[in-house]
Amino acid sequence: MKEPGADTPAPPHDASLLLEVEGLTTEFRTEQGRVAAVDRVSFQLHRGETLGLVGESGSGKSVTNLSILRLVPDPPGRVVAGRVGYRGKDLRTAAEEEVRVLRGRNISMIFQDPLTSLNPVLRISTQVQEALQLHHGLGGRQARAKAVEMLRLVGIPDAERRADDYPHQFSGGMRQRVMIAMALSCNPEILIADEPTTALDVTIQAQILELIKGLSARSATAVILITHDLGVVAGMCDRVCVMYAGRIVESAGVDELFSDPLHPYTRGLLDSIPRVDRAGGGRLHSIPGSPPSLIDMPDACPFHPRCPSAMDICRRAYPPETSRRAAGSDRARTVSCWLHAEVRGGPTQREPA
Amino acid sequence: MASGRFSRNSIAMTGAAIVALYLAVIVVAFFWVPFDPLAMDAAHALQPPSLASGHVFGTDEFGRDILSRIMRGCGVSLAISVAATALGALVGTFMGTWAGFRGGRWDHWIMRVADVLFSFPSLLLAIFVMAVLGEKSFNVVFAIGLVYIPQFARVSRGAVLAIRQADYVKAARSSGAGSGFILFRHLLPNILVPLVVQVSLSLSVAILLESALSFLGLGVQPPAPSWGNMLASARKAMVIAPWTAIYPGLAIVLLVLGFNLLGDGLRDVLDPRLRNVR
Repeated sequence: MKEPGADTPAPPHDASLLLEVEGLTTEFRTEQGRVAAVDRVSFQLHRGETLGLVGESGSGKSVTNLSILRLVPDPPGRVVAGRVGYRGKDLRTAAEEEVRVLRGRNISMIFQDPLTSLNPVLRISTQVQEALQLHHGLGGRQARAKAVEMLRLVGIPDAERRADDYPHQFSGGMRQRVMIAMALSCNPEILIADEPTTALDVTIQAQILELIKGLSARSATAVILITHDLGVVAGMCDRVCVMYAGRIVESAGVDELFSDPLHPYTRGLLDSIPRVDRAGGGRLHSIPGSPPSLIDMPDACPFHPRCPSAMDICRRAYPPETSRRAAGSDRARTVSCWLHAEVRGGPTQREPA
Repeated sequence: MASGRFSRNSIAMTGAAIVALYLAVIVVAFFWVPFDPLAMDAAHALQPPSLASGHVFGTDEFGRDILSRIMRGCGVSLAISVAATALGALVGTFMGTWAGFRGGRWDHWIMRVADVLFSFPSLLLAIFVMAVLGEKSFNVVFAIGLVYIPQFARVSRGAVLAIRQADYVKAARSSGAGSGFILFRHLLPNILVPLVVQVSLSLSVAILLESALSFLGLGVQPPAPSWGNMLASARKAMVIAPWTAIYPGLAIVLLVLGFNLLGDGLRDVLDPRLRNVR
């Protein structure tokens, strides 16, 4: 299913490891001070898996992914530290041109708002052809044929004719399908979907998610799904990273996370899902308080003011990352919380930095 | 579609008709004019307009046919106006889009240069350039073009600033597009509307500037006819022979009006924000 141009030299240590993010830190310089929107984020993405990135608005989910592709606007933003390992290269320090050719061909993105992500003055076919044109030098008839094929694949009815329409002639759901067609036109290894269904109504949401799921499975594309909807995570993802205040506070397989959330924040998120089957039909649960300002964060657990089980130490130091391996699982789950730190009082575990 | 709205817009259509009339005159004058526009005829100097003599618009102080001179001058004036606008539009748009797109230091320096050019009154700047470069038709193009560069730079920079953070620009980046590709594929088509309007209005001002320079003796040099130098030579005889000034003046007024109407009409037709305003 891969294009012949997309050769895949096997990474030396783990053949299924596709993307390895280590200690990624992105700062924004503002008038009030430096804001670490993404703070020492590490995760791994394996071939064909779907990774969920969950968290509240402003927790750094989107910036993390923009940082991977070096798309953070600079100024004011800057990726100040970390490593983005992909195909034996560090995308953070690689030459701009090296990263540019990967965008859209090997790693592509779908954005949140399909209404504004298409250029209003260009025909749909022109926009779907774009990546093909940029990366494979396809032009004219060939590119158009491929574009129409992609449109058909994402379920645009009468694709041949509608390819010549302009974006305003498409509905929101249809436009998101077009975005997916654009993103998948070069058979990328990684698809980053940044809240792909937030702007769509619920019935369309399910269709779009099914489409992403089906197409990524078909071409063995790994997906990073950014969302704040845990229902979507449960249905789509293999693994989940929970982000809070720019850091990953817990990462686990999706089943482990839902059956046994370790971090109080994760627990709070899960408790916040409205349940119709819950007896009593009481008030909806929410996590009290609001996320902290990210300006000049103190060395403490950023969740402690809202945490029901906050301890003294939570106010004094950021918890170390504890990793444990559940029985029957080949990959470790990690959590950054003093409740689960193996040695309390001193961070002896591997620092996430 | 836009073409339908254009033909229903009476302002735009009037402007287009006037401009089309001048274009027709240029084509005709290329093959035929009633009299040789350069041939002097002292016996028939300062003749009033009359159908009988064949001098429909009369003759000037050298006995040259005014209609013929207006017809020949038309091509000269329009050619200079179009070339100057093209020069200003190309250079100014490039500078403006680049400044708006790259931002930062580029934006700062490009726009400061534009501000300096802007701070001169346009006629004064044009006179200054002509004085430095010498009185040649090509230099008129350059002088007027230079006046236009900051105007186009501002218009295009403003338009680019409004859309450079658009999601579709981010989306294009994320699919591997470089700066040049984004500029030409995504930004330029989106700022075309204000530019087209600006071009049309600039054409009319260029006619005026060219006439003014020629009037001052800095533009098209006699005996070659241009509306501006016709007016200049008419100044002496104007009191006894008003037709020597009236007809070239009318030629200027009507063409400027045509371009202005076309520009206003195009803005109404092309700008979606004004679409339903009546």
